[in-house]
Amino acid sequence: MQFSSYLIPILIILLVVYSIFKKNNAYNSFVYGAKTSFDLVLTSFPYLVAIFIAVELFSVSGLSKILGMALSPLFKVLGIPIELSELILLKPFTGCGSLAVLENIFATYGVDSYIARAGCAIAGSSEAIFYITAVYFSQTKVKKFSYGIPVALISNLLGVVAACLICKII
Amino acid sequence: MNFVWISFIVVGLGIMLFKNVDIAFSTILTGSEKAIALTLKLWAIYAVWLGILKIVEDTGLNQKIGKLLNPIINKLFGKTDPETHNQIAINITSNLLGMGNACTPSGIKAMNGLSKGQDVITSGMIMLMILNTSSLQILPTTVIGLRVAAGSVNPNDIIFPTLFATFVSTFSGIMLCKLCEKFKNKRKKNGKSKSALPQPDANLEAKHIYK
Repeated sequence: MQFSSYLIPILIILLVVYSIFKKNNAYNSFVYGAKTSFDLVLTSFPYLVAIFIAVELFSVSGLSKILGMALSPLFKVLGIPIELSELILLKPFTGCGSLAVLENIFATYGVDSYIARAGCAIAGSSEAIFYITAVYFSQTKVKKFSYGIPVALISNLLGVVAACLICKII
Repeated sequence: MNFVWISFIVVGLGIMLFKNVDIAFSTILTGSEKAIALTLKLWAIYAVWLGILKIVEDTGLNQKIGKLLNPIINKLFGKTDPETHNQIAINITSNLLGMGNACTPSGIKAMNGLSKGQDVITSGMIMLMILNTSSLQILPTTVIGLRVAAGSVNPNDIIFPTLFATFVSTFSGIMLCKLCEKFKNKRKKNGKSKSALPQPDANLEAKHIYK
């Protein structure tokens, strides 16, 4: 077992012990928090259906292969495996979508394969750029984002390259 | 997103009309089935983590972390009014802890506070946008949960790679932001461009940039 396996259990123990010192009822808090998962699941489910159908059509029709071939020269230069092209392209638009693609990657390549691990690091280290931008600016009058979107996309791509590189090493 | 989705559907189904039309509808249903399977897995993960995060919230631990962030927020955003500063702290803390549903309201409020009703974007607003679009989450709990569900030998071994990638994207985002800001201000100073970013508080902001 690696060090990282200890991380989550230890954090949970520390947190629960801390709640005793704070005289907080951890049990009640946990139950209340777990209840809110209902809302989160209900909001994300319709998105997951829509994305999964699109992704499924995309791969069964053979489009993903064509797209992968088109992108392969660029991805090769950056050291990104072609198998991750769908994940990388969908990710800026939807967070649910990247989870959907990740599930497919687990099923196709195995959860402990290099492709799957790199995919995990990518999905865990990025957010849905266009979605977040739309929501966060929704109540302001701002319509133009200046250098915001390019910077967000470039830094995300750098994160992807870093993820692929680090997963190759460890 | 609408455009992306429509093009996936139209092109995907379009190709299948010529290639394998007999499995077209079953493919759609497969997609829906997979979505339900994933939703169930996600539900288990969300229930656990939202429970744990609620303990974090009720013990006031997130506010403590928020206070630790003060110097960083001052450095990144310059001078802001206390209420906006507070919302930024809540937004960043919930991002770090992965409290997805706490990020959004505080983020929207912080964005409103930074914009002050203007229709032009400021450097602070772009910084907040960059911080939120490049993930800040310390523990990739959802991804770890999905790996557990998929039967991984060591689901936790992606914690470090994810942290590394997160650090690279966030750090490069902040640096690029500062660079673009400098470049824009220079152009504004030389009077070559009228579209340069307006500074909410010119003196303080300038001091902060050229420090």
